[in-house]
Amino acid sequence: MNTHLLSLLGGRLLVALFTLFVVSFVVFGATQILPGDVAEVLLGQAATPEAVAGLRAAMHLDDPAILRFFYWLGGLVTGDLGTSYANNMPIAQLIGGRLKSSLQLAAATALFSVPIALALGITSAMLRGTLYDRAITTATITVISVPEFMVATAGVLIFAVWLKWLPSLSITRNVDSFGELIRIYAMPVFTLSFVISAQMIRMTRAAVIEALNTPYVEMARLKGASRTRIVLRHALPNALGPIVNAVALSLSYLLGGVIIVETIFNYPGIAKLMVDAVSTRDLPLIQSCAMIFCFVYLLLITTADIIAILSNPKLR
Amino acid sequence: MSEKITSSWTGADDALVEHAIRRGASRRDLLQMLMAGGLAASAGSLVLARASTALADTPVKGGHLKAAGWSSSTADTLDPAKASLSTDYVRCCAFYNRLTFLNQGGVLQMELAEAIGTEDAKVWTIRLKKGVTFHDGRPLTSADVIYSLKRHLDPATGSKVNAIAKQMVDFKAVDPLTVQITLAAPNSDLPTILAMHHFMIIADGTTDFSKANGTGAFVCENFEPGVRSIGVKNKNYFKPGGANLDSFEFFAISEDTARVNALLAGDIQLAAAISPRSMRLVESQPGVALSKTTSGNYTNLNMRLDMAPGDKMDFVTGMKYLLNREQIQKSALRGLAEIANDQPVSPANIYHNKELKPKAFDPEKAKFHFEKAGLLGQSIPIVTSEAANAAIDMAVLVQQAGNAIGMKFDIQRVPSDGYWSNYWLKAPVHFGNINPRPTPDILFSLLYASTAPWNESRYKSEKFDQMLLEARGSLDEAKRKEIYGEMQVMVAEEAGTAIPVYISNVDAISSKLKGLQPNPLGGMMGYAFAEYVWLEA
Amino acid sequence: MAIDVSPTFKPRLPGYRFNLTGWASLAVVITWAAVAVLAPYLTPHGVGDIVDLDYFGPMSAEFPLGTDYLGRDMLSRILLGARYTVGISLAATLIACTAGVTLGMAAAVSGGWFDAALSRFLDALNSIPSKLFGLVVVAGVGSSIPVLILTLAIIYTPGSYRFARALAVNVNTMDFVTVARIRGEKLGYLIGSEILPNIIGPVFADVGIRFVFIVLLLSGLSFLGLGVQPPEADWGALVRENIGGLPFGAPAVMAPSFAIASLTIAVNLLIDNLPQKIRDRSA
Repeated sequence: MNTHLLSLLGGRLLVALFTLFVVSFVVFGATQILPGDVAEVLLGQAATPEAVAGLRAAMHLDDPAILRFFYWLGGLVTGDLGTSYANNMPIAQLIGGRLKSSLQLAAATALFSVPIALALGITSAMLRGTLYDRAITTATITVISVPEFMVATAGVLIFAVWLKWLPSLSITRNVDSFGELIRIYAMPVFTLSFVISAQMIRMTRAAVIEALNTPYVEMARLKGASRTRIVLRHALPNALGPIVNAVALSLSYLLGGVIIVETIFNYPGIAKLMVDAVSTRDLPLIQSCAMIFCFVYLLLITTADIIAILSNPKLR
Repeated sequence: MSEKITSSWTGADDALVEHAIRRGASRRDLLQMLMAGGLAASAGSLVLARASTALADTPVKGGHLKAAGWSSSTADTLDPAKASLSTDYVRCCAFYNRLTFLNQGGVLQMELAEAIGTEDAKVWTIRLKKGVTFHDGRPLTSADVIYSLKRHLDPATGSKVNAIAKQMVDFKAVDPLTVQITLAAPNSDLPTILAMHHFMIIADGTTDFSKANGTGAFVCENFEPGVRSIGVKNKNYFKPGGANLDSFEFFAISEDTARVNALLAGDIQLAAAISPRSMRLVESQPGVALSKTTSGNYTNLNMRLDMAPGDKMDFVTGMKYLLNREQIQKSALRGLAEIANDQPVSPANIYHNKELKPKAFDPEKAKFHFEKAGLLGQSIPIVTSEAANAAIDMAVLVQQAGNAIGMKFDIQRVPSDGYWSNYWLKAPVHFGNINPRPTPDILFSLLYASTAPWNESRYKSEKFDQMLLEARGSLDEAKRKEIYGEMQVMVAEEAGTAIPVYISNVDAISSKLKGLQPNPLGGMMGYAFAEYVWLEA
Repeated sequence: MAIDVSPTFKPRLPGYRFNLTGWASLAVVITWAAVAVLAPYLTPHGVGDIVDLDYFGPMSAEFPLGTDYLGRDMLSRILLGARYTVGISLAATLIACTAGVTLGMAAAVSGGWFDAALSRFLDALNSIPSKLFGLVVVAGVGSSIPVLILTLAIIYTPGSYRFARALAVNVNTMDFVTVARIRGEKLGYLIGSEILPNIIGPVFADVGIRFVFIVLLLSGLSFLGLGVQPPEADWGALVRENIGGLPFGAPAVMAPSFAIASLTIAVNLLIDNLPQKIRDRSA
């Protein structure tokens, strides 16, 4: 059984790698469709026909797209992300610090929101139909239906402008203490948790309730197992597949989807970098950022798939 | 109705008084300006609150200033030739110097130049200041100046002012501190042209712009495109005393509300270009002041004369009558604008033609012209975007006015991403946004001459081109004024660019920040605030 | 959920009983739907007309929900905005969830290369940032309401697929599915009669959440120039363009927020309180 499991996992990883290849093709294709000739955008007002032609040649833009794709892919595999069109800096240098910042914010948000969301989801499933459950449900939907930029702006107004407890910006020269670190991350993490928790809470609750309806839980209940035991031992493992998928989907939002939070708190992350790259038609940078998002996304969902497989004995 | 406007903007009365004082004070400077051909002394600029006390204060040394602009991206650059956004200008002003600059009254001052002279407005001799050094210790020589100016001519540099620089045809180093520049044709505006941010002086041979090696008041300590820049005080600065601040940090918060909130929370001391709608909030808070500048910034409606529907002059004229300038001023910009007369030379400029009255809002006349053009009842697409300040609101106002006379406009909001490269100058009817430029010559050469790179409506007139050359070469001020006046009429009547209002820039500052004065070159003291302001303890 | 107190531990009541919360949320949803249909007859002012020279005006008899940042009547704008938010979001949600859930179940039941290929394809689709996707769509096919609906649906189909598949995979291993399969039942019967009834609860919950996401993403896409064009605006866009009024508690920013909240909460509560017979057909 163990070799079977290993081959299953190995297969999943191979498939993930293949998907990454497909994605790289799609990403490259998408950047080719974006309107605006790169050379023209780069040269701006100095774009005389000769200058554009010269630059296109120098950048190998006239080569067939498929050739450029493999050229780019080759660079990607060997760790050469290329140089930015917009400012000629190595892409790796542009991305480096900001990816780290983004991952820090994502990690902090995940550490904060996932346990809380799971706890709320499971308890409201256990107490289904009670006032507690209904309060959680309504609060969850309320929270998620407020646009993110409104949560962030209101947070800044209340905690930074009126109460002056927290800084309104997350960019600072030095973080001297742990307390300062908490103060800086507090509002972005809260805002993002608002956004991503709802899905996790709702899905966890729904999946656990569904699992509670299954025959073997019925069996456990007839055997006289306690409610907590039923949920934790019998229902939860069976509901784990959908739950980890919901968590993975929510977390995947934390890298590329946090543009509003990055903008309002002036947090120098990778989502803003991607938006900049799109607006300056900086194709190598767009491609690299998109590949990072895709990689993280695939990493998350592959992990989720593997956990799902491991959690269901029949799927192993 | 006007009552409502004033009551929502309490600073207005103070401003009127201050405006008058400033006008009086600056008249004295007028004489100095004539030769330089600069801007009106009044510059239409005024400081709203606490500015008069700021002027009286003595600078305090030290401190770290955090200031936020409104846009920044990975395209941020330290190369003055490529500078195109406010953040670039701020950095350039802090790290480099120009040969000349314009002070708050619009008066031309010498910076790296000791003196600039000419006999015929064609051959100019520039004497440099002694003892100026770059941040790397090398002294400033005529070679640096020639390198800095000459590179604008090379298409590979990608200079934003290539069109203006082209008139400099010959450079000669007379001696290590004297440069001779020969122009293709006489241009008496050269000293003012050299005050543009793009003509910052860099060290001879510089090709790497990941660091800034300039002569400026600050040394570039950190530059991350799209993130922030940090400058520390240049200890060897050639101006006595140097900068007041020990260091400053500049970044962009693109969200209007977020920028104001950061100021109110005390995280920054300067929030540039706040939205007119934030005024009410800012004014209600203690410890915050406003600095307003009305120079020549405008958002305009461009109708290309070489494409339908703009190829019918009646359409263009009709649109100019259909623009409800007062409503744009009052509703879209909340009074922070001055009504304009379809031409780019603002009242802040001494060459502004006061006789040329703005076209009054007249839907019936507009209807007449649309009918004549055979376009009434057709649906005309207007391309608009967040990219141009208030352009969406203006489009909606035009659409409403059009509905009333049976003229349908189809608003096409497009992404601000790529707006300037994909839609601006390209779509038949679209919006543009033009930053202030110091002289009519620059404005007309950039925007209206037949060969202008940014000829938004493809306006072509031989007569206009000739007049441009004539005014440029003349040293007779009265005559220049007359020619420029006539050219403004031509643009207003013939070009396809409808300019409804000149938009004011309002920077919000902490009351601890002193010394910030309005400047005709733009907000944040013409982007050069870092060198001059100080922080009170 | 007022009627079934801890239902999991009690025999369920059969029937189509609908509780008070259910009725109330249904009423809210129907009201908004009616507003969406009748909006042009209800608006007191033109949606783009500047009727007040002040901005962020307070609630008054003339302007019951105040005025917006340009001095336009908020009530009219919200009424007309309902068309976009309710109509587009519902359509996009239905398309995304129907497609996602059907494909998800089919993939789980079929397995093999169909499952693998479809999963990888949708993963690839989902991993492209939605903003980039939106820009490519605008560039490629231009902007119109149907394009907007399809774009939203495409963006949210992979998530729905993934969740439904994860649920279906678990059910697929159950004995009764195996029995049905041995009976020789067709794919359509398997997913329609054996899988769907057993995952319908979480699927409905997912529909509710996805609806909220789509309502919010809608405003983001209209700012990219996709779909809704000014002066008209969906509710999310109304909140966004009036966000400057937040410090004053202006009705211009609060009212559309409440509108969004009322709609999304009602839709989700309605789903939660659907009669047992519809909700848990597995019983």
